[in-house]
Amino acid sequence: MSQKQTEAPSKTAGARSDSPKSFRGGLSETWLARLFISPSVLLMLGVVAFPIGYAVVTSFQQYTRRQYEGFAGFDNYIEVFTNDKFFDALAFTFQFTITSVSLELVIGMIFALIMNAGMKGQGITRAIILVPWVIPTVIAGQMWNFMFNITPGTINSLLGIGDFNWLGSSGWAAATIIAADVWKTAPFVALLLFAGLQTIPAELYESAKLDGAGAVNRFWHITLPLLRPAILVALLFRTVDAIRVYDLPEVMTGGAFGTESLSMLVKQYIVITPNPGVGSALSTVTFMLVLAVGLIFVTQIGKNIIPNEGNSK
Amino acid sequence: MTIATSKRRPSLSKKNVSRLRTVLITVVIVWCLAPFFWLGMTSLKLGDPALNDPNLFRGPFGLDNYIAVFNQGFLFNLRNSFIVASMTTLIVILSGMTAAYALAKLPVKRRITLMTLVLAASLFPPVALVPPLYEVWRSLGLLSTWEGLYISYISFSLPLAVFILLTFFSAIPGELKEAATTDGASPLQIFRMVMLPLATPGIVSAAIITFVTAWNEFLLASTFAPRNAEVAQTMPVAIAAFTGAIEYQRPIGTLTAASIVVTVPMILFALIMQRRIVAGLTAGAVKG
Repeated sequence: MSQKQTEAPSKTAGARSDSPKSFRGGLSETWLARLFISPSVLLMLGVVAFPIGYAVVTSFQQYTRRQYEGFAGFDNYIEVFTNDKFFDALAFTFQFTITSVSLELVIGMIFALIMNAGMKGQGITRAIILVPWVIPTVIAGQMWNFMFNITPGTINSLLGIGDFNWLGSSGWAAATIIAADVWKTAPFVALLLFAGLQTIPAELYESAKLDGAGAVNRFWHITLPLLRPAILVALLFRTVDAIRVYDLPEVMTGGAFGTESLSMLVKQYIVITPNPGVGSALSTVTFMLVLAVGLIFVTQIGKNIIPNEGNSK
Repeated sequence: MTIATSKRRPSLSKKNVSRLRTVLITVVIVWCLAPFFWLGMTSLKLGDPALNDPNLFRGPFGLDNYIAVFNQGFLFNLRNSFIVASMTTLIVILSGMTAAYALAKLPVKRRITLMTLVLAASLFPPVALVPPLYEVWRSLGLLSTWEGLYISYISFSLPLAVFILLTFFSAIPGELKEAATTDGASPLQIFRMVMLPLATPGIVSAAIITFVTAWNEFLLASTFAPRNAEVAQTMPVAIAAFTGAIEYQRPIGTLTAASIVVTVPMILFALIMQRRIVAGLTAGAVKG
C-alpha cells in the first residue's frame, strides 16, 4: 500500500538512533517516542514484572503460616503437583474452557450470521447483543444461580421438571456454570465474528453464486476461510479468559461439586490457608499455562493481529 | 450503516427469508434480554411467598427491596467502584495513549517485539498478582484502599487499552504526519494538534472498555478489599456477599434489586455508546 513508502524515512531514522531531522524548539521524534513509551513501561514493570518476579522468588521459599522459614527448593512445586486438589482444579478448568469456548464459538457464529444477514434493526440487535457483555459477571452469576435454584425454580418450571437440584449435583453444577458463561459471552464472540464477516467482500458471494455454489458451500469455502483471523482472535481472547475463570464458579457454587477453578485454588492458598510459598508456586504454574496457550494462538495469528502502519484497510 | 444493502444476497423466496430473519433475530433478543425481565420482576416482588414462586406475575409488588438495598450502604459500594474505575481509566488512558501513538507512528526500536509484549501482557492472568501483591499491599497498608485496587488494575487494563489504541492510531494515514512535518510542526505538536483529535473516537472506545472492565472486576477486589463498604469494598464484591434485609432471609429480593440498580444504567450506557464499544471491542478482530 502507499503508506509503506511514506513510512520508510522514519524507519531509517529509528535505526540511526537520533533523527536526522531536527525541529525548531521541539523534541526529535526518537526522543518523543522514548518519552511517550516510558510511563507505560514503568507502570508495567511495577505492576506486572515486579509482582511476577516476586511470586517466582516466593515460590521457592518455605513458609509456615506466613512465617518465612528459608529456602525451599522445589518443595512448593512438588506439593502443587502431588496435590489432588490441583488436578481437580486443572480438570475442571479444562472442562470449563473446552466446553464453554466451543459452545460460544458455535452459538456466536450463528448469531454473527444472523446479524450479518438481517437488514431490519441491525443497529438495535448489535446494541442488545452488548447487554450481556456489559453486565458484571458477578451479577450474571447470582442471576443464573437463582434461576437454576429449586426456589424459585424458574428453570425447572420452564422445563416442566420437578425440583431438580442443578447446582447441588456434581456434573450438573459444572454444566450450569458453563451455561451461564455461554449466555454471557456468546454475544461477545458474535460481535468479533460479525466484525470479521463485514470485511468479506459481497462480490465473492455473488460470483460463487453464479458458479452455482449453494449456501452451505459458500459458508464452507468463502466465509470460514476468510473468517479465520477473526475466529482465531475470538478463540484467543475466550480461551485465555476461560482458563483464568474465577467469578462465575465462585459466585454460583463457591467451588463445591468439583467446580473449583485454578484461580480459586490460588486465592484459597493465599487468603484462607495462608501459605504464600505454595500459593505463589500455584500462581506461577497458572501463569505459565495461560502464557503457553496464549503464545500458541499468537504464533498462529502472527502478524494478523499486530497492527502495522498504514493498514487503513 | 450501508453494509446491509451491500451484503444482500437473496435466495429462497424473499418473503420467507425475511420471515426467517425476524424469527432468528427475535431469538437473539430474547436470549440477551429475557434474564433481565426475570431480574426486574423478581426485584419488585415482596415477601417469601411471592419471591419463592416461579410465576413471575405472582405479587404483591412494591419497592421495598430497593429501599432495603440503599439502607445496606450499597451507595458506598457504588461510590468505591466508581472512584476505582475512574482512576484506573484515567491512569491507563493517559499513559496508554502516548505509548500506543509512539508504537504506531514514531520511530521505535524493536517495534514488533514491543507490540508482541503488549499482546502477551494482555493475556496476563490477574490471579498471578494475588500472591505477590497481597503480601506487598499488606506490608504497605494498601489492603482495603482504593489505591490498592486501581494500582493493581493497571496490570491488565493498560495492555488492553494500548492494544485497542494501537489499532486506531495505525489506521490514521501516515501522509497526515508528513504534511504537518512539511508545514513545520514539531513531533509533539503533530501529536497534540493532528493525531489526538483524529484518534478521539478510539480513545473514547478504549476508555469505555477500560472503565467497564475495572467496574466489573471481582477477583482482585474480593482479595484486596473484601469487606467494609465505607472503606473500599466495590460493587461486585458487595453483590457476591449480599445478605437479606432481615437476617437469614434469602437475599433474592434485595439482590435482584441491587442488580437492577447496577444494570439499568449500564444497559442504557451500552445502548447509547453502542458504536464506540463495538469499535473498541472489535479493534483486533477486523483484519482482512
